[in-house]
Amino acid sequence: MGEAQKGLLSVIEKLKGSSEQEVRIVLLGLDNAGKTTLLKSLASEDVNTITPTQGFNIKSVASHGMKLNVWDIGGQRKIRPFWRKYLENTDLLIYVIDSADKKRFEETGLELSELIDEENLKGVPVLIFANKQDLATASPASEIAEGLNLHTYRDRQWQIQACSAVSGEGVQDGMNWICNNIVNKKK
Amino acid sequence: MGCFYSKKSKRKSREKDGATPTATDETNAVPLGNNIDEAPKQYSWDKREKVDPKDYMLTGLKDVTVGRLPGKLNGQQFVIQECVNCNIYVFDHSATITIDDCVNCRLVLGPVKGSVFFRDCKDIKCVVACQQFRTRDCTKMDVFLCCATQPIIESSTGMKFGCFQYFYPELAFHFKDAGLSIFNNNWSNIHDFTPLSGENNWGLLPEDSLVLDFVPTPDPESEFKSVRISAEPSRSIVPLTKGGRRKDSEESCLFVFFAGEYATANARKLIDEATAKGFVLIQTKEVSMRPEDVKRVFQNSADDLVEWVAKGPVIALELNGDGVIEACKNIASEVFSGTKVFVSNDKNTSSQDVDSFFNFADMQMGL
Repeated sequence: MGEAQKGLLSVIEKLKGSSEQEVRIVLLGLDNAGKTTLLKSLASEDVNTITPTQGFNIKSVASHGMKLNVWDIGGQRKIRPFWRKYLENTDLLIYVIDSADKKRFEETGLELSELIDEENLKGVPVLIFANKQDLATASPASEIAEGLNLHTYRDRQWQIQACSAVSGEGVQDGMNWICNNIVNKKK
Repeated sequence: MGCFYSKKSKRKSREKDGATPTATDETNAVPLGNNIDEAPKQYSWDKREKVDPKDYMLTGLKDVTVGRLPGKLNGQQFVIQECVNCNIYVFDHSATITIDDCVNCRLVLGPVKGSVFFRDCKDIKCVVACQQFRTRDCTKMDVFLCCATQPIIESSTGMKFGCFQYFYPELAFHFKDAGLSIFNNNWSNIHDFTPLSGENNWGLLPEDSLVLDFVPTPDPESEFKSVRISAEPSRSIVPLTKGGRRKDSEESCLFVFFAGEYATANARKLIDEATAKGFVLIQTKEVSMRPEDVKRVFQNSADDLVEWVAKGPVIALELNGDGVIEACKNIASEVFSGTKVFVSNDKNTSSQDVDSFFNFADMQMGL
């Protein structure tokens, strides 16, 4: 057997043989959180030159009759009202936080809590990436988890994963959690 | 092979303990998830030497000259907040910089590998080099910018932009350390997330703006007196480009250097030769090309160029002015006879050369 598949491919390999045909993951978070860097890292692409997202980016992988779509939506304050339009039929939410932007912890906490209340995301598992752990002022995942009151989530599977999207460290661990939880979703 | 746990084994261990297992942080009992069994891993940031975040922050300063000398930041993050009437000089490369709640400050931000993000700032004059440039809720900023991607503003007004123009001895190395090319500068095409109808939240600085009128050199009594700065246009590490300003002539020429050790030096030499003759540099790009890109962009001239793109990225320049094509051909044969270059052939094809190349380059920047 060859080397383990990484990123999006590892998820689609796990889905092989299940009853799902098309799986939808949505990638949200404040602007500058690192969503697009994460998406490119998951697709094993170069992350050295990334433009602020103006609309959305989408990556799709297909394997053995299965299709996995990951939607990376722009996070500027002005365009967050559009997030809701992308949530229908979502199988898993990835929420990305800039762990080194303390000034905006409250803001990102508010946005996440509003998302969790969305009807379209009821029961949908959520993976929170505490990104930018490589930076000097980054808060550890445990501190962020506490600040977000994640332990109060009762109606869904959740996980917070420390990572550095720009180096890739911690990203595959998050994808492994997704492997386990995406087929557990209630629908 | 990365997924070890089946639903069955989780149910079993739950029954055994009588409680939902959670993986916890070793230092406190904060759960990191609600259905994992394994202990949390140790990552490089857990193992590395702890740093004091305060060493990377400037907070609440007033009326002072402050910042970082070359070698003192060394690629780390930097945070600037609540400063008033300060002159802030970051003469080093960094990972990312956020600037919050600052008023009436002048800043020089050395090459930033990631993003520069200004929030809730007012009356700012700055010189910035970065991969991404972002603002939110800012008013009245004058920015001499080198940005690898399209700069964005949100809920900001009175924003003016000009081309990065700066030199200090270590600056060229700092660009390399930050992974930024001096030829990739989108300083003049800003995306506004909150445009107004009938008004513009942003514009371009007057072309003859002098950096030192906006951001003075550091106080000669300060720690920065040892840094030999120049803001002279001809010495700028980043070539001055006209960008989106209106062109003076209808005639443009595409000049492309194919990889080699001296591509950067050659490109600078061409710029010096051409500008000395009165021609204008519109835009530049340093980008990798694959064989199929060469065929699409250079079409008839493609054949002998294909093998050269494997050696490394190309550096392309658009020069403008009446007679620029003839002048470029002469420079190519007199100065660059031993170098692999592409030069537009005539006025009929040169606009297309320019469009083909820079449209291709813009597409490379997107996803």
